[in-house]
Amino acid sequence: MTVLREEGDVRLDTSAPSRVSLRLGPDAGAAYLVLQDDASADRVETDFDIRLAAGASLEMVFLSLRGEVLRNRIRVSLDGERASCSLNGLCLAGGSQQRDFDILLTHQVPACHSTQLFKSILGGGSVAHFDGLIKVVPDAQKTEAYQANHNLLVSDSARAHTRPQLEIYADDVKCSHGATVGRLNPDELFYMRSRGITLEEARLLQQLAFADEILEKIPVPEWQQRMRILVEECLR
Amino acid sequence: MNTLLKIENLHARVGEKEILRGIDLEIRAGEVHAIMGPNGSGKSTLSAVLAGRDTFTVTEGSVTYDGRDLLALTPEERSWAGIFLGFQYPTEIPGVSNVNLMKAAVAEHRKQRGLEPLGAAAFLKLMREKMAYVEMDSSFSSRGVNVGFSGGEKKRNEIFQMAMLEPRLAILDETDSGLDVDALRIVASGVNKLKRPDNAFIVITHYQRLLDYIVPDVIHVLYKGRIIKTAGRELALEIEEKGYDWLIHQSE
Ligand SMILES: Nc1ncnc2c1ncn2[C@@H]1O[C@H](COP(=O)(O)OP(=O)(O)O)[C@@H](O)[C@H]1O
Ligand SMILES: [Mg+2]
Repeated sequence: MTVLREEGDVRLDTSAPSRVSLRLGPDAGAAYLVLQDDASADRVETDFDIRLAAGASLEMVFLSLRGEVLRNRIRVSLDGERASCSLNGLCLAGGSQQRDFDILLTHQVPACHSTQLFKSILGGGSVAHFDGLIKVVPDAQKTEAYQANHNLLVSDSARAHTRPQLEIYADDVKCSHGATVGRLNPDELFYMRSRGITLEEARLLQQLAFADEILEKIPVPEWQQRMRILVEECLR
Repeated sequence: MNTLLKIENLHARVGEKEILRGIDLEIRAGEVHAIMGPNGSGKSTLSAVLAGRDTFTVTEGSVTYDGRDLLALTPEERSWAGIFLGFQYPTEIPGVSNVNLMKAAVAEHRKQRGLEPLGAAAFLKLMREKMAYVEMDSSFSSRGVNVGFSGGEKKRNEIFQMAMLEPRLAILDETDSGLDVDALRIVASGVNKLKRPDNAFIVITHYQRLLDYIVPDVIHVLYKGRIIKTAGRELALEIEEKGYDWLIHQSE
């Protein structure tokens, strides 16, 4: 887990194996990159337990690139008013690999803001699961919460299971969620090929375009560029 | 002059629907051919078949390009061989910038000719030079391919890409439709700058007015998947005046 930014009272505890605990105090700010990219890993399961106090702001970008089974269980509790949390993730998988994101994000108090954007590019016989629940408790008025999960299947047998859910008990909220499962666009592929770009390269360009929306969420340009190169290497 | 493209008895269909029903056409280097015809005649289908779009199945006939069996080539191989299709409806590719599209395309074309990739400075110079051909602002290069472009900007982008790739046979599918007079002039002058004795153009259009700027050697009228008339440039004026009905009558 790479620290991209930490300001104020931030307590990150990674001492327990496969368990990350993160506490942001009032008005603290932090950004992290979680890179999971060990080709020899059979199974990596990580629990994230995250709490934000009033006015705190957190940005996280998860990149689940290489490794056989990668599972992330994320619990976020927005405990203080005006806290804001942005979770983003990109999964790449091929062969018999599996990628799981299981997310519960709870708006406990009014006027917090959360966004989630998770994307997967799945080839071979790989499988991705996305379970995302946004919970807004009765008092959490003026909540804004958004969640999206988009999957790109680049082979016939890859599968994406996606279950974005909202549980809203307050009435004055702005919430949305959505999920898509799609394939490479044949019109775009043909257009690129008609310009002399090989089918293989055209497929790659389309996948990089899909991935880039997540990479752009990395708030430090050098890291963003490094990760772009890494993702391209994985997709080639 | 030598034959660049020879289409013989070409039939093509989508699913069960036959769209091209026996097309014969021969184009020599240095020529400009215009194809006209009412909507739904098969003009875009013919261009797509020549560019290698697999939604259409060729059921009969042959296409020889520069002595090779064109129909046996993949779309990218056709591009390397010098075929360029200017799309009637250029595809939008969100997330792939114009500059990256052209970088990949030019690099592949050079690779096929055994050349090293262009250096960054040389490539940008080339981009700038060719964008100037169509009076395209350099801000377009970092934008997603055709994303949010107006109709006219998309068509200019097609001509820009053509200028970058310097094809031997360019097929321009209604590049003029939806353009105002200024844009039309820009597009036409882009084409005229690229005209050489060793390349050829197929210009598909509805309107005589484009042919005021790009002067064709031959005009063909396509109707229901067949060429029903081939004549000199004066035919365009006649069509402008009288429409297609008299030609359709003659052919039936
Ligand atoms: N992908 C397709 N599926 C079904 N029908 C098609 C398809 N593409 C074209 N057609 C049909 O083929 C005919 C010729 O279309 P097109 O080649 O676009 O004509 P034009 O360019 O001359 O207007 C039309 O009847 C059109 O509806
Ligand atoms: Mg058409």
